[in-house]
Amino acid sequence: MKAYINGKELAFEPNETILDVARKNGVYIPTLCELHDIDHAPGTCRVCLVEVQQGDSTEPQYVTACDTPMADGLKVQTRTPQVMEMRRLQMEMTMADHHQDCASCPRVGNCELLPVANSVGLKQVRFHYTQGWEDLEPDHGKQPIVYDRSRCIRCQRCVAVCRKVQNVDALEMTGWGSTAGVRLKGGSVDASPCITCGQCVMVCPTGALAERDQTDEVLNFLADPEITTVFQMAPAVRVGFGEEFGMPTGTNVEGQIIAALRKIGADIILDTNFAADVVIMEEGTELLGHLKEKKRPTFTSCCPAWINFAEKHYPEILPMLSSTRSPQAVLGSLAKTYLAEKRNIDPKKMRVVSIMPCTAKKEEAARPVLGKNGVPDVDVVLTVREFARLLRREGIDLKEIQPSAYDDPHMSEYTGAGAIFGTTGGVMEAAARTLYYVINGKELEHVEISQLRGFDNVRTANINLGGEFGEIKVALCHGLKGTRDIVEAVKAGKVDFDFIEVMACPGGCVDGGGTLRSKKAYIPLAMKRRETLFNVDRQTKARQSHNNTQVQKLYADYLEAPYSHKSHDLLHTEYCSRPFGVPADMEQAWHELHEQGGDK
Amino acid sequence: MANLIYGVWDGKVHDYRQTQAGEQEALVAGLEGFAPDNATKAFIADRGFLIFDRDTNLVEAFSQYMAQAAKESCGRCTPCRVGTQRMRDLLAAYANGTAREACLNDLAVLAEQTTSSSLCGLGQSCAKSLGDALKHFRDEFKAGAGTAEQHSFVYTTAPCVEACPSKIDVPKYIDGVKGGKFDYALGVVMDKYSMAASCGRVCVRLCEAACRRTQAEGSAVGIRMLKRYAADQALLNNRLHLKKSLVQHKQRVAVIGAGPAGITCAYKLLQAGIQVDVYDMHKASGGMASVGIPSYRLPKDVLKAETEDLIREQGGNFFYEQKLGRDFTVDDLFAKGYDAVFLGYGAHKGSLLGVKNEDPSLDGYDSGVDFLLKVHKHVEYGEPFEVKGDVVVVGGGNVAMDCVRSAKRMGAKSVHLIYRRTIDDMPADHEEIVASEHEGIIFHCLTNPSSLVVENGKVVGVELLEMRQTEKDAKGRRNVEAVPGSEHVLKCDLVIAAIGQVVEQDTLKAEEGIERDRWHCITVNPDTLETSRKGVFAGGDCVLGPLTLVNALDHGERAAYAIRDYLLDGSAHITPQRRMQNLLAKNKLFSGECLQTQPVRKERARVPELDAIERIKTFDEVDGVISKEVAYEEATRCLRCYRLYSVVTEKSLKPGQKTSTIAG
Repeated sequence: MKAYINGKELAFEPNETILDVARKNGVYIPTLCELHDIDHAPGTCRVCLVEVQQGDSTEPQYVTACDTPMADGLKVQTRTPQVMEMRRLQMEMTMADHHQDCASCPRVGNCELLPVANSVGLKQVRFHYTQGWEDLEPDHGKQPIVYDRSRCIRCQRCVAVCRKVQNVDALEMTGWGSTAGVRLKGGSVDASPCITCGQCVMVCPTGALAERDQTDEVLNFLADPEITTVFQMAPAVRVGFGEEFGMPTGTNVEGQIIAALRKIGADIILDTNFAADVVIMEEGTELLGHLKEKKRPTFTSCCPAWINFAEKHYPEILPMLSSTRSPQAVLGSLAKTYLAEKRNIDPKKMRVVSIMPCTAKKEEAARPVLGKNGVPDVDVVLTVREFARLLRREGIDLKEIQPSAYDDPHMSEYTGAGAIFGTTGGVMEAAARTLYYVINGKELEHVEISQLRGFDNVRTANINLGGEFGEIKVALCHGLKGTRDIVEAVKAGKVDFDFIEVMACPGGCVDGGGTLRSKKAYIPLAMKRRETLFNVDRQTKARQSHNNTQVQKLYADYLEAPYSHKSHDLLHTEYCSRPFGVPADMEQAWHELHEQGGDK
Repeated sequence: MANLIYGVWDGKVHDYRQTQAGEQEALVAGLEGFAPDNATKAFIADRGFLIFDRDTNLVEAFSQYMAQAAKESCGRCTPCRVGTQRMRDLLAAYANGTAREACLNDLAVLAEQTTSSSLCGLGQSCAKSLGDALKHFRDEFKAGAGTAEQHSFVYTTAPCVEACPSKIDVPKYIDGVKGGKFDYALGVVMDKYSMAASCGRVCVRLCEAACRRTQAEGSAVGIRMLKRYAADQALLNNRLHLKKSLVQHKQRVAVIGAGPAGITCAYKLLQAGIQVDVYDMHKASGGMASVGIPSYRLPKDVLKAETEDLIREQGGNFFYEQKLGRDFTVDDLFAKGYDAVFLGYGAHKGSLLGVKNEDPSLDGYDSGVDFLLKVHKHVEYGEPFEVKGDVVVVGGGNVAMDCVRSAKRMGAKSVHLIYRRTIDDMPADHEEIVASEHEGIIFHCLTNPSSLVVENGKVVGVELLEMRQTEKDAKGRRNVEAVPGSEHVLKCDLVIAAIGQVVEQDTLKAEEGIERDRWHCITVNPDTLETSRKGVFAGGDCVLGPLTLVNALDHGERAAYAIRDYLLDGSAHITPQRRMQNLLAKNKLFSGECLQTQPVRKERARVPELDAIERIKTFDEVDGVISKEVAYEEATRCLRCYRLYSVVTEKSLKPGQKTSTIAG
């Protein structure tokens, strides 16, 4: 079949939209709500207007390209004066009830709205409709993700990613007319299936969804002379931060981050990679025990959104989860005990700040079991986006700063095994390297285990651990849609895995819900960031967690052995079922129904 | 005022401002007498607008129309969300003199943009007539015309809504499913009646027949499956409980019949705080939905949950195995102190075939409803009932399908269906016919019984005649006639006459003063469902003859409103909504319109069902529930074909309302 765009004859397939055909042929049509990477075209912004004429019919029609099927012989014009005028009016209306106080927006200067407004040539907004949001109370809650309806353009990408990509389905459409927006089902994280993975934030085109900003809290710690600030950065942070300051995708900026932290006054700078190595010692030992008992499978426990998912959606599998705390929690716990002792710091005066590619880590840090005497081990978690904000507030341009290196002698060394924790398959590979050594008394010859390095959302492999265990069956999941399938299969007894690694965010931590946002794309930088992590691994002196000299010292001086009584107290945790949901409230439904429109 | 003065309808301009209009056929019939003693000044719709009174304030009329559009806008798409508000405000500003004439240009541009670029039918239709008016009658937009006393009643609806007897706001509950708000979706249905999960299983789906998705790509939105989905989420998970109304009036109503009409009437009365006692001749609620619809289509626990359980939760009482006409009379009820009575006792008597040797007392003879009742009592209460050998069912409706499929499940060796016309003429649901075929029912179409073969007081066969179609008559319809000499006998052990039901004659006595027609159906005011006796209302099959579940639900709801008004305000009255519904139906305002946009093709979802070989062994439910993913996908197929209709009248249409601007 053939049609014409701007006079050029083009072939197309049945059921392709005008937008599909235009994109395929490199013809630009402005879009706003649509997000091709997650197959989302809700047709709500109505900005992708084009003129169409069927055959020689006289009157041209104006239709939206995203939801109008291309038709045989259709003549499409993408830039007639009328089309441009209509797109301009559409954006004017979009801006009319948008909260245009850009200075206070978490996405200032970086949203998708302004470039589209620009591209349609918007010159003025003659009217404003603020009644939909002017009375909104600011969200002062503790939830790691904040929704501001005044910035919402009703594109529903968040709803789509939560449903289609994660299969969590925590969001619902709410309100009508100018109050239309989204909210968590049941109104809160606890009442909804939400696991705070933050994928909704990653696809939001504006600042409507954002992490709860805690940079102020960190600045207050830094300003307090009584307080010793301890910073940690997650494995994935260093490879997904340079872009913010104009550096190429995947640049390793570990040295620059260390230097920047020093500059803003951080007292102690540690690396979560160190804790990842500790996790391997603990989790590896735990897994070996399970293998001996033929207790299978064991699920990893590093990912807090995955833990939320298991606790809320599959409480029956909680006994299968490794009890080892996540690297962030391990570091926090050790900082306020081991490190405090070694460096003679009063842990009460110590504040641990994490820089994480993750929104769920904020919730994890607040878990009562991950603290002592009501004081959390990790005091504040900053997402990568907040960390960028923190540096800007301190006037730091990462690109201009000279890289530095760690100087803490206790908890900053890391191996290649800890480094690859940030990408899917990394935890499994790190564990395999150490397990092999523990079982066989010698190092694995090829440490890069290629069968674990695919990128499909669900992968399975066999690893030969040698010795009494031989081959074990493992599965690796990133993204919760595939994870749900694997968990269902485990529950049904259809699969027989020994060890299952789960990362809730598609792509793993390098594309976590707390990383830098992309525009009009969903996790487009995954592979480059991942490659850099693999390179970090290749460049480390030691590539196995058990060869981390600071880890060895930790066990020798303090913990005695992996899975010891002391480790158990400090480095392991427990989980609990968290049922969610609310009763069906007809009164509420009727109230809402009669609020909208007239009586029927 | 009777004549059209100016307006645009379907793009055609009518202008009789200078010249007297001659005799003309009304473009929309029934506007003149829309409400008694209240002149109709104007009518605004999607297809145009009509002005009947020279003094109509056009700006104000459109302003009120647009205010309603803005209030109805779901807010998802930009031009409808913001455009309707902007148009409303510009019109209001122009009316009160704060906007200059130039704003009419802005209005025209906004009307055009909203019409051509909105996502759904609401935005696409709500500014069309405004655009027409600005194009052809701009001089009638008088700046600063003020707000002269005139009243708009604006009614929002859609083809599926108007097709539904209950007038359920279908697009709105589909919005609920689409938006992940299943309880809200259920609430839209339960605003009308409680039997959402039942209706979601067995409704005849007049809504789907009216769905414009069919015109666009051949298959309607799976409206019923979405209703069932939403209802099951709450009901099957025991998440649904209702509270007693906070207001409690002293008035008491007796509801006769715990079928769909009676239950709905009780449900709505209880919500209005009126006390209700429900009487039924059976020992469970549901009426025909219980004793007439087999549990493989409508499980009894589902039915009980949303009939008896919900009524009891709201404070209603049940008196079972109490039959009107046998155990008590209407007079007895008033003597007991009830302030009003609702009659919803149904149509439970099977029609005779009218063939030779037919006698309902014969062994091996049953009417469809009697057979289904025996099956029900056997399945539900274990009462002895056996079906053996060969069964012949006569009829082509849903009851006939229920009989053949139940007979199969009861263990009949073979089951034959006799129908005098062709399979395409059968009034039964297409899905029911297909399911029966899958279950091995032997269809004999163009066949009619002429006599029963009786031996020793027992039916042993049916004599059948072959039928043939006649030439088309003047209306293009084919009739059937018997083929002479084609008599043949089909041996059988049981014959079931499933050609229809009638209302029982002796339920009411003549002296009770309740008028009935010659089919013994109770005569009612079609709008208020009042009978000829004060304080007695009636609805459902005992008024309509055997009709559908959803017709009964509608009657129950409307009767409840009428009874409430009668008890609390002294008289039942016709709502403006009802007047508008009658007007739309009379003029078929939804037919013959064309789609504005061509949607992207999306296949209709399929409801999973039990395999035929397995399902004929039990009375377990055949249809499964769709998955959440499928429900979301199916919901996106809805085009939301909302339309707004406004009647501008001299006086308010709502009693006791001084200045009606917008309905609501």
